[in-house]
Amino acid sequence: MVDMRADDTPELQAWRQEVRDFLAEALPEPWTFWYDYDEDPESWERYLTFWRKVAEKRWVSLTWPKEYYGLGRSAIEKWILDEEFVAHDVPTYPVIGRQVSELLMRHGTHEQRLKHLKGIADVSVLWGEGYSEPGAGSDLAGLTTKAHRDGNEWVINGQKTLGTAAHVCQWMSVLARTDPDGPRHAGLSCFLVPLDTPGVEMLPLNNMADGRQNMTYFDDVRIPAENLVGDENQAWTQVWFGMGGDKLDNALPGTDPHTLRIIPLFARVLRYCQQTNRGGQRLADDPLIRQQLGELMVGVETLKVQAFENYSRAQTRKPGKFGAASSHLSAAFHKEFWPHLAQVCMEIVGPMAQLKGGRWAQLNGELEHYFRASFGNHAGGTSQLKRMVLATRGLGLPR
Amino acid sequence: MGIDLTLTEEQELIGRTANEFFEKNCPSSLVREYEATASDYPSELWTKMAELGWLGMPFPEACGGLGLGTLDMYPLLVEMGRHLVPCPYLDTVALAGELICSIGSESQKKTLLPGIAAGEIIVAPAIMEADGSYGPKGIQLQAQHTGSGFELTGAKTLVACAGAAQWLLCAARTDPNPADGISLFLVDPTTSGISMERTPNIAGYPLYAITFDSVSVPADAVVGETGSAWPSLYQAMMKAAVLQSAMVIGAGERVLEMTTNYAQEREQFGQAIGKYQAVQYLCTDIAIHYHQTSLLTLQAAWRIDAGESFLREAALAKASASRAAAAMTFAAHEVHAGVAFISDYDLQLYTRRAKHWEYNLGDLRYHLDRACAESGI
Ligand SMILES: Cc1cc2nc3c(=O)[nH]c(=O)nc-3n(C[C@H](O)[C@H](O)[C@H](O)COP(=O)(O)OP(=O)(O)OC[C@H]3O[C@@H](n4cnc5c(N)ncnc54)[C@H](O)[C@@H]3O)c2cc1C
Repeated sequence: MVDMRADDTPELQAWRQEVRDFLAEALPEPWTFWYDYDEDPESWERYLTFWRKVAEKRWVSLTWPKEYYGLGRSAIEKWILDEEFVAHDVPTYPVIGRQVSELLMRHGTHEQRLKHLKGIADVSVLWGEGYSEPGAGSDLAGLTTKAHRDGNEWVINGQKTLGTAAHVCQWMSVLARTDPDGPRHAGLSCFLVPLDTPGVEMLPLNNMADGRQNMTYFDDVRIPAENLVGDENQAWTQVWFGMGGDKLDNALPGTDPHTLRIIPLFARVLRYCQQTNRGGQRLADDPLIRQQLGELMVGVETLKVQAFENYSRAQTRKPGKFGAASSHLSAAFHKEFWPHLAQVCMEIVGPMAQLKGGRWAQLNGELEHYFRASFGNHAGGTSQLKRMVLATRGLGLPR
Repeated sequence: MGIDLTLTEEQELIGRTANEFFEKNCPSSLVREYEATASDYPSELWTKMAELGWLGMPFPEACGGLGLGTLDMYPLLVEMGRHLVPCPYLDTVALAGELICSIGSESQKKTLLPGIAAGEIIVAPAIMEADGSYGPKGIQLQAQHTGSGFELTGAKTLVACAGAAQWLLCAARTDPNPADGISLFLVDPTTSGISMERTPNIAGYPLYAITFDSVSVPADAVVGETGSAWPSLYQAMMKAAVLQSAMVIGAGERVLEMTTNYAQEREQFGQAIGKYQAVQYLCTDIAIHYHQTSLLTLQAAWRIDAGESFLREAALAKASASRAAAAMTFAAHEVHAGVAFISDYDLQLYTRRAKHWEYNLGDLRYHLDRACAESGI
């Protein structure tokens, strides 16, 4: 039965209010902060302080089982929480801790969960993603970082690139080749690596939106055998597709809260157009701008209903319209819409949108930054790849 | 002589010389350096450009210039775009210089043009204001008649290199009538009542916001006739827009070269990514956008030199250039994916400047509107 209202009981409405009350107290001022595009230490401190407040309520782990530091609450409550966080433009949870928790719930051992979930739940341990390599981006299965077993340890050698905010992380989830002779996809395993292990080195790759990616080198890095997560040589299906891919339905890069922060940003642009005059006319009254805003509104709303679709699929356990490739459709849409939105908003606001901040800037320079950040739309795979997978696996076209 | 789209041998030579010169004297390290320094432009480079005669190209020989045309400047500007030359050429030479040439008094010409040509004088045009309109309505800074001259009050934005300028060329309103009430003033930026603030921006350019608080200027500060500067200002901005388009073309050539090289070198799934049609479409997007811009720009430049009406063609050229600026850098980023998101990679230098060029001297929307207006629609 079609239903797009999350809080249809008094209990859920009360829950929504509880989240709102919390935000009013914990984040009283509207605040735009993107952990992947900001290196200001004070902002980071404020950001982590906020998330520790969320953690004190155990809301990071809201839906996790009680034995793993969770509250065992329902998925719809998590949804409502996310909805409120997005509506209030709350900076999203740092990097990939949430995906790691998901991975551990699916494929981790009881001991691994006990050991790692607490740090994710209380935001004391941040997790980075060590998948891409200089030679393996779209073709992730072409990665060459190797791990071999030596007694009770795994020894990792290789290099990972583009790691978002990895320099602030304590741990990294690393994909490495454990079977050099087997088929490409069948020889990969996933390891949980503490980044203070001897042999790990990191170099900054400053990105064009004021954040920092990282090159991480692994030189005979020894980690205990129990840091292998999932089954040996099964990472392709258990981890890669399990986390962002198409075997399992969970919140996906195309429609997670990080993405949905487009909604409050666009709302600010709309307000700006209602409040700003150019050449004696309100921008929002200009027929051309109305068309542009209307077009963008369709896109922003699409992202929202795609989030509904993902949630619905995960709950009903029904396959998506395009089977295993369904999530690639929303991901491709998002990856193309994001830079488009940034471009068109800058066109609407006009030449003053190129200023970064200060009293002459428009919208506090937010669009200038957002435009630069939009060239990071390749995180998690390019739109061309998403379309390629959708075409071949979803539409049945030949590979 | 019929239809011929090739530049003359001399014009080609200007382009080759400029390419070699900037290759040597304006590496991307210099471009990066001038995003971060307090000084507005590299004066050493500027002086060398003056020695080559480039800063006086369009001025009459009597004023220290070479008396050359837009088609002669075209190849130079293409190279300035290719090498992202961080100098106020469009502002000081193409826009301010052109205005002084066309409507300045003899004494203004004599005092300013030789100095500009020699690289000793920077004149910063101060046209745009905070609401971001390009047309005459956007000019709201007030110039009140006083006994001995004028008093200016208001604010200008996006003024390039104002911090290094000896003169501002300020567009002000002497009459409320939108089109007829505009006058141009040469203002010494150290005059009391003027305050300047550098406004950090996407391109890393030295752009300033300038506030005028009852600034007194003498009567002879007026350039051209009081109250009727708009048509000349508009023409000069349209000519400069053609040269801005040439810069987009040069940048486009470089961005295409970077991108096709990368598509040939980068392998994924065991083959060069340039073999994938998705990537080929993106590369051809870059080629199509900047090449069609180059044809429209050549046409406009030719019409200027031939003494034909050119406003419609200039608007079409800059509309195409504004669109190309955004589209070609977008496509280049799509092909490069992760590597070009890293600041060390030079593509982002182009991407951020292309955004400024997209807006500068009229954005897409403005020029589409002008194209219709200049077609009588
Ligand atoms: C902001 C940002 C954050 C990131 N964070 C992380 C992180 O934390 N951890 C991590 O491991 N990685 C991270 N990445 C890396 C990201 O996963 C890769 O950038 C992405 O997978 C693309 O790989 P690539 O950049 O090597 O591009 P390439 O794979 O080299 O692609 C280049 C071009 O070729 C095209 N192409 C390639 N193959 C095909 C094909 N078969 N058909 C058609 N076209 C094709 C692509 O679409 C693209 O246009 C991040 C990237 C960015 C931009």
